[in-house]
Amino acid sequence: MKGRRGAALLILLVAFALIAAACGDDDGGTTTAADGGTATTAAGTPTTAAGTATTAAPDMMVPDDFQVGMILVGPQNDRGWSQAHYEAGLYVMEKLGLPEANLIVLDKVNTADRPETTLPDVVADMIDQGADVIFATSDDMRDGIEQAAGQFPDVPMIWSSGDSAWVDGKAYKADLSNLGNIMGRMYYGKAIAGCAAALTTQTGNLTYLGPLINDETRRLVNSVYLGARYCYENYAGGDPDDLSFEVKWIGFWFNIPGFTLDPTQVTNEFLAAGSDVVVSGIDTTEALVRAGQEQDAGNAIWAVPYDYEDACAEAPEACLGVPYFHWGPEYLKVAEDVIAGSYTRDFVWAGPDWGDLNNRDTTAIGWYDGDALAADAAGSLAEFIAGLASGEIDLWVGPLNNQDGSVWLGDGEKATDFQLWYTEQLLEGIVGASAAE
Amino acid sequence: MNDLVRRLRVPVVSVVLALAATWLLLVVVDAPPLDALWQIWNGSLGRLSKIPDTLIAWVPLTLAAAGLIVTFQAGMWNIGVEGQIVMGAIGAAFVVRELSGPPAVVIVAAFVVGALFGIFWALIPGYLRTRFGVHEIFSGVALVFVASAIAVYLIIGPWSRTGVASTSGTDLFEERYWLPTVGADEYSWLAILVAVAAVVAIAVLMRGTRYGLRLKAVGKNHHSAFLMGIPTNAYMLSAFAMCGALAGIAGTVQALGFHHKLVPSISGNYGFLAILVVLLAGFRALWTAPIALFFAAMLVGSTQLSLRLGIDSSLAGVIQGMLVLFILVVGAWQAQRTRRLARRAETATTAGGG
Amino acid sequence: MALELRSIHKHFGAVRANDGVTLEVQEGELHGVLGENGAGKSTLMKVISGFIEADSGEVHLHGERLALQSPDDAIKAGIGMLHQDPLVFLPLTVLDNFLLGSPGSFRLNRRAGEQALREAADRYGFSFDPGALAQTLTVGERQQLEIARLLWLGARVLILDEPTTGISAAQREKLFEILNRLAEDGMIVLFVSHKLEEIEQLCHRATVMQRGKVVGHVDAPFSSDQLVEMMFGDVVVSEGRPDAALGSTVLELDAVTVSERLTTVEELSLHVAAGEVLGLAGLEGSGQRTFLQACAGLLKPKAGTIRLGDVDLTGRRYRNFLDAGVHYLPAGRLEEGLVAGMSIAEHFELTSGNASFFVDWNGAEAAATRDIEHHFIKGTKESVAESLSGGNQQRLLLAMMPDDVRLLLMEHPTRGLDIESADWVWTQLLARRESGTAIVFASADLDELLRYSDRIAVFFSGNVLRIVDAGTTTPDELGFLIGGKESVP
Repeated sequence: MKGRRGAALLILLVAFALIAAACGDDDGGTTTAADGGTATTAAGTPTTAAGTATTAAPDMMVPDDFQVGMILVGPQNDRGWSQAHYEAGLYVMEKLGLPEANLIVLDKVNTADRPETTLPDVVADMIDQGADVIFATSDDMRDGIEQAAGQFPDVPMIWSSGDSAWVDGKAYKADLSNLGNIMGRMYYGKAIAGCAAALTTQTGNLTYLGPLINDETRRLVNSVYLGARYCYENYAGGDPDDLSFEVKWIGFWFNIPGFTLDPTQVTNEFLAAGSDVVVSGIDTTEALVRAGQEQDAGNAIWAVPYDYEDACAEAPEACLGVPYFHWGPEYLKVAEDVIAGSYTRDFVWAGPDWGDLNNRDTTAIGWYDGDALAADAAGSLAEFIAGLASGEIDLWVGPLNNQDGSVWLGDGEKATDFQLWYTEQLLEGIVGASAAE
Repeated sequence: MNDLVRRLRVPVVSVVLALAATWLLLVVVDAPPLDALWQIWNGSLGRLSKIPDTLIAWVPLTLAAAGLIVTFQAGMWNIGVEGQIVMGAIGAAFVVRELSGPPAVVIVAAFVVGALFGIFWALIPGYLRTRFGVHEIFSGVALVFVASAIAVYLIIGPWSRTGVASTSGTDLFEERYWLPTVGADEYSWLAILVAVAAVVAIAVLMRGTRYGLRLKAVGKNHHSAFLMGIPTNAYMLSAFAMCGALAGIAGTVQALGFHHKLVPSISGNYGFLAILVVLLAGFRALWTAPIALFFAAMLVGSTQLSLRLGIDSSLAGVIQGMLVLFILVVGAWQAQRTRRLARRAETATTAGGG
Repeated sequence: MALELRSIHKHFGAVRANDGVTLEVQEGELHGVLGENGAGKSTLMKVISGFIEADSGEVHLHGERLALQSPDDAIKAGIGMLHQDPLVFLPLTVLDNFLLGSPGSFRLNRRAGEQALREAADRYGFSFDPGALAQTLTVGERQQLEIARLLWLGARVLILDEPTTGISAAQREKLFEILNRLAEDGMIVLFVSHKLEEIEQLCHRATVMQRGKVVGHVDAPFSSDQLVEMMFGDVVVSEGRPDAALGSTVLELDAVTVSERLTTVEELSLHVAAGEVLGLAGLEGSGQRTFLQACAGLLKPKAGTIRLGDVDLTGRRYRNFLDAGVHYLPAGRLEEGLVAGMSIAEHFELTSGNASFFVDWNGAEAAATRDIEHHFIKGTKESVAESLSGGNQQRLLLAMMPDDVRLLLMEHPTRGLDIESADWVWTQLLARRESGTAIVFASADLDELLRYSDRIAVFFSGNVLRIVDAGTTTPDELGFLIGGKESVP
């Protein structure tokens, strides 16, 4: 009898926890998507750089029932990766003059949050609902979107951050002629982030809060490292070999309690080990929030968030700036092509608009200085960005060694897109795992 | 007839109350209630194309529930069933990754090893309970965490994708080892068959056999059962083993028939949910099948809320939670009522008969 | 001024737990309530302390009639009950525990509480430290804490139900000292016990209960003979016992020492022959159950041997005892025999001895219907065990017994049964005996012991005081032995 009652109580608690957990998801969501739209207005100057100029063709006939399906891996209001995609979706709708309702969104599509849902099912649902193009917006969705693309060969789909449409890539899927890829050249943004960190650090101890380990994440860690070393040496006047740089991987793009390391916990460990700038590579803002708490307590701790242009708003007093994605311009191009019936799948690795890094109509990646970035550091950073833009500074040129001492780029050798995309190891000097043990 | 009405009262009343509360909630968040319920229906059982999706959730839920019928009959709360599903999936994944041979052989081996892993994981709380009197709820909960940790370790460690350490899962298994399907996107008939067979077998075992009868005695009063000469510890352990086997099979189905790889959350909370299914079914095996179907439909159909109505998908979680609460509250009310009636009846007979 | 009970009735089903109890206790009186288990003492105390409501009757305190519907009503009226297991929150301090049930407002007044606690402690010689954690207290100290709390709540009547169970002799002395001081302060103390010597040592006056009724009131100094006689009542051994021819030895114990919790049976040697009925007499908890459980294979002896016929079963499993033909029917019919929630048919099928994997329910139900008729069980094959009356539960238990029992061990075969059922039970048992089954039964009913036993083993504090021939023993002699007196004065 006693056991029964105790167990019933336990079940009751579980039930409450279920409800609380379900409700809890809303906590972060008080800001609506519209808040994010503070980006600079279109300057309207198309650039000659890797950036792609986009303006909605005014004479285009947009059918009222044109719908876009967008599948997000995290919550649509995560102030990170997923929100950046979600807002790109809204941007597309706005440019096409369609109501928001024409954007079909399903967020939190991952096995932990939706164990009963598969990506092909979601795609099928969206198509059933009338979606004309599908955006699967996570690296994690490879298997599912490839399967779905095979099932619905007539529906154009985009797998963001993937390489299935890259003829020269390692995972080219020749038969999936309706599946394209879009990615931003974030390694530039990450190099800028590394520079800002190096210009700010007082302890010379930089850390990187990594998500999971793959080619992309290794590429981005290396870029932060290269940017940090360059700026530490050339603007801060330090010896780059004195710079300590450690990465820790939590296991996924965001925290899933029980399945990943807790990013807040990892950040605490970084701080305890003497790091004063934490660069975040995950989709959510735990590192910045922690740094903000430290700043509020009077400690000189900073962070660089990632993914989403308004990410600094979580704790501006600790934010050195944010490298972020503008998926909008490329997504709009896809949508327009689909409407025109002229879409052909492609592997797009879109770069920044060096003319205006924050032009929401032209740049695929961007950077905002944070409130916490000191004025002289901001000056040096601007110089660095200008150097990157002009090509004067090229960080991805040899000699560069891999973590295990092998040569990645020989003396004077410039990294190809292939070498950059498939980054197989962290660079020499970085502390942390290059691959799963 | 009267009996049927009494049996149906708890589930029906709780579902109706939960629906009413859901209705209210939907009105409060300014969503059209009828449309929302329609979408849930339409996204699960109301459309032919959605039925396989619903079965995807139904199969593991039903398997776990069938297993829990056995442990509940033995009077125990095998809350660790969630972890037993995970272990089953790990066992099956191990077979499929390491073994190669004719698909039929490998798949059967995966089921066997998956079931064995589940049994092993279930016998731990069983042993702790029978040998040391450690309550199975506590050891079970702990073992759920351990099983998850093992799965995560394998996924980002030894079984990680080449050059990748992501908790999003291992490489896909070889396609020939996936559970057989009829159409391209249909769910595996084998998985459905296994679940149906499990429910029927457990129903027969519990109601028609001496084993089931004795297990019931052990569950209701293990002291009396022991005095009758029933080896109570052996029966309790066998119940854990049986539940573990079915949970392990559920894990195997999840790995080979659904995800086609090992993912950290492969148990999908179906174990915990199955406890509620069994409670709602009043511990009767055959009832778990339709009730699990209802839960599966809620789970799968609620995706439509965010897809089509733009309602935050966490609302579906709230609805499920409410349903659970109402089941518990109504169930407790019913139990109290039954006790009161029984007491009254007892007084009447003793007064009358002596 | 006094506590007065007038004609308290309380029925549980057919059992009359309190059947017209009338009692008066004066201020400052230490009043003992004595009786065998099941005499109705606890029920009466629960009525007075508001835990259960009487069917009829009145409780008056200081001339005022009390409406007692809850313990809260009782404590407000000044009646406090100290439970066998004092309700104490172990991780809290003594003071916190004391404050938990504090009177009056929602806000705690720690200082007032602490002062009250210290005053009570000084006055009555309580030995605990208010700041200590409750888990460091002995059971005796927990009782003191509870008494202090009840006093602070304004108790003028203190009820103690078997308070000496599980406490040491020294703690008991301390408790008696406190109770004496409370009585000196004008408190009414009701002291419930089935132990003669405690009543004799402590109380000014005693009420003896038997089968729900007050047998009488006695003033100190008490004569234990008189108390025993009142506890067990007038016994009229009527018809001569049917003698049966004794067969070979079925049960043989040689210097068996066995213990269970507080009770130890030491170096017991005894044998029972086929067709013999051995009665076990003694106050509750004197070792009868320990002995029976050892004979059933449920307790392993620390020393000595137990043989069944030719087979040495010492240290073997319960299963081996069962196979050797031992059958044990404990006192708790619904707790240690039947399975609540299972039907009569299921019970029969469980013990049918059938071994087929599938159960033939049609056959089983037909057989159950037959057995129900055959054993005059009032119930149907679908009736669940808990819906049966005590008599019918006992009938079911006997009906479930296999045919080839060599040794039947039984506790209180007829306790709580109406006369018809009790007779039927013994008819069945004697029929078993005719076919050579040895029967060992424990009972608190002297009449039953003398009427059906061949020999009676009298237990006193864990040992067999004496084994007597039932045919030549008078109820008085048996009563004295039960009270621990070796010889009739």
